[in-house]
Amino acid sequence: MVQYNFKKITVVPSGKDFIDIILSRTQRQTPTVVHKGYAISRLRQFYMRKVKYTQQNFHEKLSTIIEEFPRLDDIHPFYGDLLHVLYNKDHYKLALGQVNTARNLISKISKDYVKLLKYGDSLYRCKSLKVAALGRMCTVIKRIGPSLAYLEQIRQHMARLPSIDPNTRTILICGYPNVGKSSFINKITRADVDVQPYAFTTKSLFVGHTDYKYLRYQVIDTPGILDRPFEDRNIIEMCSITALAHLRAAVLFFLDISGSCGYSIAQQAALFHSIKSLFMNKPLIIVCNKTDLQPLEGISEEDMKLIMEMKAEAVKTVIGQGGEPTNDEGVLLTMSTLTEEGVIAVKNAACERLLDQRVELKMKSKKINDCLNRFHVAIPKPRDQKERPPCIPQAVLEAKAKQAAEKEKRKTEKDLEDENGGAGVYSASLRKHYILANEEWKEDVLPEILDGHNIYDFIDPDILQKLEELEREEGARLEDEENEDFEMDGEELTPKEQAALAEIRKKKSLLIQEHRMKKSTAESRSIVPRKFDKDRKFTTERMGRQLSALGLDPSLAINRARSRSLSRRGRKRERSLDRGDNDAGDAMDMDVDQQNKKLRMRSRSRSRSKSRPPSEVAPGEGFKDSAQKVKALKLAKKSVKKRNKDARRGEADRVIPTLKPKHLFSGKRSIGKTQRR
Amino acid sequence: MRLEKCWFCSSTVYPGHGIQFVRNDAKIFRFCRSKCHKNFKMKRNPRKVKWTKAYRRLHGKDMTQDSTFEFERKRNRPERYDRNLAENTLKAIKKIDKVRSNREAKHIEKRMKVKKSKERREAAKELEQSIHLVKPPSVLAQDPSLTLPKIKVKVSQQQTEENHAMEE
Repeated sequence: MVQYNFKKITVVPSGKDFIDIILSRTQRQTPTVVHKGYAISRLRQFYMRKVKYTQQNFHEKLSTIIEEFPRLDDIHPFYGDLLHVLYNKDHYKLALGQVNTARNLISKISKDYVKLLKYGDSLYRCKSLKVAALGRMCTVIKRIGPSLAYLEQIRQHMARLPSIDPNTRTILICGYPNVGKSSFINKITRADVDVQPYAFTTKSLFVGHTDYKYLRYQVIDTPGILDRPFEDRNIIEMCSITALAHLRAAVLFFLDISGSCGYSIAQQAALFHSIKSLFMNKPLIIVCNKTDLQPLEGISEEDMKLIMEMKAEAVKTVIGQGGEPTNDEGVLLTMSTLTEEGVIAVKNAACERLLDQRVELKMKSKKINDCLNRFHVAIPKPRDQKERPPCIPQAVLEAKAKQAAEKEKRKTEKDLEDENGGAGVYSASLRKHYILANEEWKEDVLPEILDGHNIYDFIDPDILQKLEELEREEGARLEDEENEDFEMDGEELTPKEQAALAEIRKKKSLLIQEHRMKKSTAESRSIVPRKFDKDRKFTTERMGRQLSALGLDPSLAINRARSRSLSRRGRKRERSLDRGDNDAGDAMDMDVDQQNKKLRMRSRSRSRSKSRPPSEVAPGEGFKDSAQKVKALKLAKKSVKKRNKDARRGEADRVIPTLKPKHLFSGKRSIGKTQRR
Repeated sequence: MRLEKCWFCSSTVYPGHGIQFVRNDAKIFRFCRSKCHKNFKMKRNPRKVKWTKAYRRLHGKDMTQDSTFEFERKRNRPERYDRNLAENTLKAIKKIDKVRSNREAKHIEKRMKVKKSKERREAAKELEQSIHLVKPPSVLAQDPSLTLPKIKVKVSQQQTEENHAMEE
């Protein structure tokens, strides 16, 4: 059965919102950038696309509205009538019609303007056409604004309608206002309908569900009906009338016999008679409510008579359905929703009557043959009258009996625990049932760790044996070692040799230190030839000291060195030699004089006051003449010059000057004139 | 409760110490302290890290193969409890420990001994090669004209007295 679900209708936007949505969507989803330099076909295409896109969106949205709102002629007459009662069929149809017209109008507009756009010759013209098209579409929508608002209201109301299935088992409750219909439905279903002392508390239909014999029944609570001519009824009453008219249901007509609803039994009877035409073909039960206030037996004669009349009517409906005329028990019932007596009986009676009626109907219809197969329960025909009870073997019975006995006898650990003081006091000995070689060992505690080892790693049944072997091995090994110890290599150094070695090592370390110092200062230290030593490391005294440390006599070596020294090189003759040796001859007078002069110039005292010119060649230096020496000095100076390792441009690097730099000879000024450069 | 071995340095991890890391393939790595843990996280190979047992064993610094190691083996099948066996085991553990530590010490001593002989040989060689730094060449030393005379130093009285005492 189709469940009418009006909750799934999409929201109908208001006119303004509608326009906003569509226009913003057009702006987002279509390209936005266009320049007047584009080809004309491209411009036309651009604007045509916008117009068409807008039209399509409008069409889509309006179509969804039209399709989702139910067509009153296509749905179940109950709903059709209900919607008519609530919203007025004509207005509803009109609104939807307007939406439809709007849709068609928009399509027409779009078609016309697209045709015009095909012949647009400039950007401006195309743009104006598009603006016009969109504007007209929006005006159309603005005009149907009120219809859209109306449809939105309807949609919201429809979504809140109770979901009543018109084809399933239904029980309808009707009667005057305040007779106790809503209280009844609250009692038998899980519905939570407002129950208040004022009339017309229930303003619309309410649905609850209840179960009877594994079947689900819909129970519909209606707003109260007053006794009025049909035309004067208001919308709320019309709801209940519609429900009564269209739903195939069991009807429970509620009667308030105590009169506390504010209406007498006579009035209620009058109502009954005026709407009894609606009870055609429906199982009818008259329910007398509020018996706690006024029991049925205690009412007056006239009222009793009226009630009997109603009952007669109700019985007629039973007959109409082919039930037995004498069975009038299920027709008039009493109950009290306050004390809850008779409520279930009423429900059961109603459900029963309805079920019977539906089954009758189904039996009469053609489709019954399909269902009939499902109802058949096959029972094998009894062969004879012999009784055949289920067979249980004897052993099983005995075992069962024994088990039962055993359960009582055995003492469990739990019992033991309870005896000895409960859970916190007694801790069960888990080792009670250990199987060991000796019973005394049961409660032994073995340590797990010893000296950084796990004891469990060592446990081995053969451990004693292995230990013995190990000890034997160890003994043998120790003996071997002792024998070995006597073999010492006699390569010891004597103390004298050791002293010499120590001295050697000391000297070596000194040399190494000195070398290291030299190496580290090499970069910043200038390389000076030995004859200019300022530390006085290359003196004969030092040499003499070192030689005497070795144990040698240095005097001979010192003399030799001194005779060969550089400062002596230039002197062919000694000073003392000169003074003493004048016998060489007068022929040498000139020489002597000259030599004397030279000597005077070159004597020791002189050498202190006048230094040697740089170009003068001393015999020991290795130069041919002073020119060579000058050149050598020059070269030496050049070698000291720092190399240009930075790859910076040097004087030698060829320079290509920029004679006409571009930035000075060209370019516009941002401000000012360029009359001169 | 078990004493485990640290995966990195192979020292024992006592209960309540260290960190266990379980990898996705269910291999468990136990570490004795954060030093080992951090080294592991840095993906260092313990065989290359000098202070670990793995390195020492690999490079022959510590004893690797010995019968004493056979005693301590992780046994997965529990033995039925026997008090005598337990007693013997406890005593045996101590003895085995002693034997093992002795053997390890001997191993290291042997290793060290090699150096001494090597040292001696080297010293002899150096003495022979570099003697010229402290002593004059033998040819010149024998020539009396080139050597310095030996200076005789007078010895004090006390020493002679001591000598007398020694002689007696």
